[in-house]
Amino acid sequence: MKILSAIVLAGALGMGLIPGAQAATSERVQITGEIIDTWCYVSEIMGGGEAITGTAHHQCAVWCAAGGIPVGLLAETGEIYMVLKLGDDDTSNANPRILEIQSNRVVVEGNVMERDGIQYIVIDEIVENAGITNRTHDDYGVIPEFGVPGQ
Amino acid sequence: MSIMTDFRVIVFAISVLLASGSVASAADSWGVAGEEEARFDATVVDVLCELTGDCPKSCGEGRRQLGLLTAENKLVLPTKNAANFSGATDDLIDFCGQNVTVDGIFTENYGVRVFAVQFVKPVGGKWQRTNRFLDKWAKNNGIDPTSNAKKSWFRKDPRINALIERDGFLGIGLEEDRLFLEENY
Repeated sequence: MKILSAIVLAGALGMGLIPGAQAATSERVQITGEIIDTWCYVSEIMGGGEAITGTAHHQCAVWCAAGGIPVGLLAETGEIYMVLKLGDDDTSNANPRILEIQSNRVVVEGNVMERDGIQYIVIDEIVENAGITNRTHDDYGVIPEFGVPGQ
Repeated sequence: MSIMTDFRVIVFAISVLLASGSVASAADSWGVAGEEEARFDATVVDVLCELTGDCPKSCGEGRRQLGLLTAENKLVLPTKNAANFSGATDDLIDFCGQNVTVDGIFTENYGVRVFAVQFVKPVGGKWQRTNRFLDKWAKNNGIDPTSNAKKSWFRKDPRINALIERDGFLGIGLEEDRLFLEENY
C-alpha cells in the first residue's frame, strides 16, 4: 500500500496535479545509517570525516539539531539524506524526537526524493535503533573540544 | 573626458550594479569545504511542500526546513544562519512565498551542496543579519535579548541540558563521560 501511495504521489507530482510542488520522483527505501549533523559533516568546519560522527561529535550534533540545522541520515554507503519528516511528525526544525536519536545507528523505512543534487528522506518508521554505537571519541576526543566540561 | 564626467560614469555604474542585485557577495568566509560566496534572488519555500505537495499554511509556521527556489527552478537548501549552531528557519519564515535576496556561502562536499545564509533582504526592505534565532531563543527562555548571554545559547538550552545530564556529552552514559575525562584531562 505504501509503495502504491508513493507511485501515485510521484505520478501526481509528475503531472503537476499538486499546486506549488515540483516534480520529484519518490523511491521507497530501507536505509541503515547514522543520524548526523549535516552542516558540520558537509562543511567540515570542525574537521572532516569520521571525527564529525558518533560520540566525538554527539554533543555538537545535539546543539545543531536543537538550533534547527537539518538533521541527516548518513548511510553505510556514504550517501547523505536530509530528514524532512519522522513518522506522522512533519517537524524538521528542532524536532525533540530527532534530538533523542541524534548519533544513533538506525534502520529506517521511508521515501527518498532527489532534487538538485540533494537527497531528502521522509522516514515512515525506524525499524531498528541500536543507539549510539560509533565510539569515535576513542580516536578523536570531543569535537569541538570546548564542549568538554571545564575546557 | 573630464574628471567630473569620469566620476559620474563611476557613480552610474555602481548604481546599476546595486539596482540589479548583481553586486559581489558581502559574505564572510568561514573556510569551509568547497566554499563559494554567493548572492542571489530566490523565493522562500517549504521544502517538504515543494517535494511532496504536502503544504500546510505559512510554510509550516516555522516547524519545517525552508528552501530557496531560484528563478532557474533550482532548490537551494539553506542549512545554516549567521549565529552559532543554528539554522535559518527563523530568518526566512516571515518571507514564506516571497522573493528575497540572500547573501552567504555555499559549501560542497560528498556530492552535497548546501548554503549558509548570512544576510537576507526582502523586496524593498533592508539587509538583515541572519541571527534571529538568538532573539527568539532568548525570548523563549527568559533571557534579555540585548545581552551577550544569548550567544552561548547552546550551553543554556534546557532541552540540550536535559539530554546531556541524562546521556552525557558523549551520548553513551555518564560513566563513559567520567572515564573519558579521567583518561584525557
